[in-house]
Amino acid sequence: MSNQRKADAAGNATAQAPDPIRAEVMARYLLAAAEEMGATLMRTSFSPNIKERADCSTAIFDAQGQVIALAQRVPIHLGSMVGAVDEILSRYGRENILPGDMFMANDPYNGGGSHLPDINVISPVFIGGEIVAFVANIAHHADVGGMVPGSEAAVCNSIFQEGLRLPPVRIMRGGEINRDVLDIVLLNSRTPDERLGDLRAQFAANLVGTRAVETLIARYGPEETARTIAGYLDFTERRFAAAIARLPAGTYHAEDCLDGNAEGERALIRLAMTIEGGRLHFDFAGSAKQLASARNIPERALLATIYTVAKSLLDPDVPANAGYYRTITTAAPKGSVVGPQSPAAVGCRSISCGVLGDVVAKALSQALPVRALAPSGPHHLMVLAGSDPRTGTYFVNYETVAGGMGARSNRDGMDAVRVHASGASNLPVEALEHAFPFRVDRYALWEGSGGEGEYRGGMGVIRDYRVLGDDIVVSLSSERQHVEADGMKGGLPGSRGRFVFNPGRADERVLPSAAADVRLPRDSVLRVCTPGGGGFGDPAARAPAARERDQREDRLPKGVAP
Amino acid sequence: MAGYWIGIDTGGTFTDLVLAEPSAGRWEYHKVPTRTADPAAGIHDGIRELLALSGVAAADVAFLVLGTTLATNAVLEGKWAKTGLLTTAGFRDVIELARQRRPDYFNLDKVKPVPPASRDCRLEVAERVDVEGRVVVPLDESTVHAAVAALKAAGVQSVAICFLHSYQNPAHEARAREIVEAAWPGAAVCASYEVLAEFREFERCASTLVNASLMPIMASYLDRFEAGVRELGVPRTPRVMQSNGGAVTPAAVKRLPINTFFSGPAGGVIGSARLGSRIGLPNLITFDMGGTSTDVCLIKDGEPAKKSQREMGGYPVRTRTLDIHTIGAGGGSIAWIDAGGLLKVGPRSAGAYPGPAAYGRGGTEPTVTDANVVLGRLSPESLLGGRMKMHPDKAREAVEALARKLGVDPVQAAAGVVEIVNVNMMGAVRVISIEQGEDPRDFALVAFGGAGPLHAVEVAMAMGMRHVLVPARPGLLSAEGLLQADQRGDFSLTRLVVLAPAQLPAIDAGFAELRRRGEAWLAEERADAGASVSEWSADLRYVGQSFELVLPLSGGSLDEASVAALVEAFHQRHREYYGYDIRDQAVELVNLRLALTVPRPRPSFSKVAAAPVGKPGSREVWFPAGGYVRSPVYDRSQLVPGMAFDGPAIVEQMDATTVVPPSARCRIDDAGNLHILLGEAQS
Repeated sequence: MSNQRKADAAGNATAQAPDPIRAEVMARYLLAAAEEMGATLMRTSFSPNIKERADCSTAIFDAQGQVIALAQRVPIHLGSMVGAVDEILSRYGRENILPGDMFMANDPYNGGGSHLPDINVISPVFIGGEIVAFVANIAHHADVGGMVPGSEAAVCNSIFQEGLRLPPVRIMRGGEINRDVLDIVLLNSRTPDERLGDLRAQFAANLVGTRAVETLIARYGPEETARTIAGYLDFTERRFAAAIARLPAGTYHAEDCLDGNAEGERALIRLAMTIEGGRLHFDFAGSAKQLASARNIPERALLATIYTVAKSLLDPDVPANAGYYRTITTAAPKGSVVGPQSPAAVGCRSISCGVLGDVVAKALSQALPVRALAPSGPHHLMVLAGSDPRTGTYFVNYETVAGGMGARSNRDGMDAVRVHASGASNLPVEALEHAFPFRVDRYALWEGSGGEGEYRGGMGVIRDYRVLGDDIVVSLSSERQHVEADGMKGGLPGSRGRFVFNPGRADERVLPSAAADVRLPRDSVLRVCTPGGGGFGDPAARAPAARERDQREDRLPKGVAP
Repeated sequence: MAGYWIGIDTGGTFTDLVLAEPSAGRWEYHKVPTRTADPAAGIHDGIRELLALSGVAAADVAFLVLGTTLATNAVLEGKWAKTGLLTTAGFRDVIELARQRRPDYFNLDKVKPVPPASRDCRLEVAERVDVEGRVVVPLDESTVHAAVAALKAAGVQSVAICFLHSYQNPAHEARAREIVEAAWPGAAVCASYEVLAEFREFERCASTLVNASLMPIMASYLDRFEAGVRELGVPRTPRVMQSNGGAVTPAAVKRLPINTFFSGPAGGVIGSARLGSRIGLPNLITFDMGGTSTDVCLIKDGEPAKKSQREMGGYPVRTRTLDIHTIGAGGGSIAWIDAGGLLKVGPRSAGAYPGPAAYGRGGTEPTVTDANVVLGRLSPESLLGGRMKMHPDKAREAVEALARKLGVDPVQAAAGVVEIVNVNMMGAVRVISIEQGEDPRDFALVAFGGAGPLHAVEVAMAMGMRHVLVPARPGLLSAEGLLQADQRGDFSLTRLVVLAPAQLPAIDAGFAELRRRGEAWLAEERADAGASVSEWSADLRYVGQSFELVLPLSGGSLDEASVAALVEAFHQRHREYYGYDIRDQAVELVNLRLALTVPRPRPSFSKVAAAPVGKPGSREVWFPAGGYVRSPVYDRSQLVPGMAFDGPAIVEQMDATTVVPPSARCRIDDAGNLHILLGEAQS
């Protein structure tokens, strides 16, 4: 069902205009409930990726499946749960869904998230035998099978290489775990114990959310709640439409390129963005064909990135719900890199979305020059796996290292942050060394990696891993190792990222920007250098105080690559 | 402890002072403006005036305790000292890398904070300790000497030291600290193992840096404070309230100023806890609502909830504090309409100047106070016992303008403002109760601060709570509470081991280290070790998890049997909190904790007059059920122990106004506290 028709269906409950005060009251309550779900998920999960890095999100949907409250964890999940409820309803039929059911899905082409490691867990909430809402959470699991540890590597050329594909299936029935399905998931993961712990945390989070929604509905009654929430989404839509309406109408063009797996290869993302009548339309006609690599961007990741960048630049405080999604439409050619068809691989969509976010920001920056944002350096991904000699157990360590944000029209880009729709935390060095057999020799800002300009692009990061195990392998994925983050309005580009094996030793070599199962012998060092953001404006116009600080604090290029 | 006791609560606008004569049950109060330019001098004037008012000689003051917001304000305004940092080679940027997240996912104007130590003042020294605490690279002392010389030349005022894994083995940090002190006598210096001996380098580094950056400021303030108190003729060393609800010597605070971020609001929480214990209400939620912010805290079995991490100035600061949750909403919060047409309240505040429209000082934006005036809940005539005149016409104009934009009548708009601010308050109460696994319905709500009693009853009703307590002097409870505090020191240490008998030697060594630190603290506080009470606890989790549950220990030791019992207790607690346990999963110890308390005698609470004076007035007051109702308006002095009445009613006093809705019953206890019982009206 389209967003607009769904809005009509929800609004038809009663024609009377909802109370703007009660709407705010309910929205705050539901957001608090979603936050509480998120806290439960993080506190009880097992894999460092969720518990330390918060690569998870929680949300509450109305009975039609529209997002009404979303807890802020990772923005790419903004869109990952869009349509998840639709898929369950169309596969099972509302009448066949019963209290105590819980569903699980991960396939981006079949009602799951935006890549296979993100497992959605969705529960219907019942009052008096009727579904009145859904609560859901999504968590990034460190391994769901497939050809590489971590189930995510740019070199995968089909989704069948990326792990176990789950359409929406019942993981719980009548409040009891469906052991049959659970066992399939566990058998397909390289780290089943961790998966079990994380799934239990996901179930616990939904139980917390279900209780909170039941309490709210018990207070106001299902009809009043539905009516007020429908009204709240309408308010949100009007608010965002008002922000769009302040921009000059017209069509704006922007483009940038994804890296290919080999030097010199690249894939174009082309955008024509039209602003008209309080609506934004994003048309990607002319973008490259889908790739035989995992850099493709599936629909939900595309939506999440557009939702995030538009919100950041136009109205950062607009509530994250389906109301403002209605002001945005997209058209991506089928079979293109931004509209891939099964079985295109999509594992690394989060890094690709860094570049996509830059394309969206370039277009919006033309319409809104006072808030312009230059292209950014997206994070790099390393999945380190092997056995820990201290315990003999097999581990998969999924880690991302942030790059630098692009400069803005009025300030420097932030150093060392995840950009656009991505947002997971780092893994603290002391937690990493406790959990896995590595010693970090260096974790620092990469001097000179931010593009110069009147406002400087954010700096990337250097992180050196010394290997303390005997059978360690790494998979590497990245963007902006071939195509740098451009400057804007005369600003210079940020540095390109790179992976280096044994830096400073006789056998030093630069590793490919995308690789699977690279062996790392004991005592070798893997260096990760992440790309910097582009600068904004002419470097000659940089304020003397800022220039002096860059000098004093060693933030400028020294002409020597690390 | 004989003689007179003085409590001083420094707020943003006013400083409240109380003097108690415990033997006679006598209390005196004084209020002076806070002098932000020279806070210590303002306090001295206040003490001098209070002593004169009370006819008490400074020499007879036996105990004096200060609640201060100095550290909080310094951080919020970024007025910390220029600080240097020594780190493990390769790690000087940890403080800037932080956790690699944007401070706000969507608002790109919210940038990372500027650290107290700029990049050129963060210097690396050659050393490395591994995750087990073994030395991988020995400390190269020459690099420390070089760094100290460079920092001195750069003009830093304070030095922080934070090396990797120092929570496992602090030897390198301790040695570096000795070198800094020897090379730079009198320098402010602190090492991370003294500030926070816990793992996760960014959080530990942030706590250490923030602490170091506050040391010079706190030292100069407390030196002046102590000297002034001595000059006045007070013979005893004063005490300073900490965020953990215990008071300590200025020397301890100068070393660990990060322990004072909640020094101010802690007084109200401790005051509430003591009041509750005295009148048989050990389970309370405190509700301290002022002009710009509201603080809430949960008290269970007489003990305020504690927390180990707070955000200050954009940094996570890990230190033991009362779990006080603050939200930026109060009587001065401004109501507005967003672009989509929704009514919002706060976080912008009209402050004291111009203040709400009703104050008649030129404010035109509608505030929570204005909504309360329109609804008849606040006096249309005057506040502060007649000292401040109100302008109800201006309040109404401001609310009418809001109502027009919303397309509702002014009363609906005013009621909406009150309802939304109450929902924000509910959110705060929810965070400290439901999200911590506590049911607010098992607690009474204590309302204090200027605006607390005005909103408490509705917040309580919405949370399903049945009992609201309004102390005799809601505006002064925080200052009174300072005199009720014990001395308290909190110590913790990371010991990441599986909780099993084989690890007992490592665990015992941790207990011994904490015991040693506790004894050193007792010596510094000049407290009697025999009178101190030790509470031991452990942070536990399943191997593989990252968040811990705190379990109490019966003492500072473990053996095979008590380890087994502790593992069992953890499974049970996990089940209680999260609905499941994992019996076959190993349990991991993360931190050991010791809290040392040295109890002090408690003064009795102030007494109230025994005879009612005059008759209540009345006015029209709006309530959600039924609209405007003619309601009696009592002066607090008319309410004497033993009285009881049903709502609707308003109770006014110098420092607060209490709303008693219909269907509630209000009773006055022996100490003059109001008990509002919801749903228990007799008529």
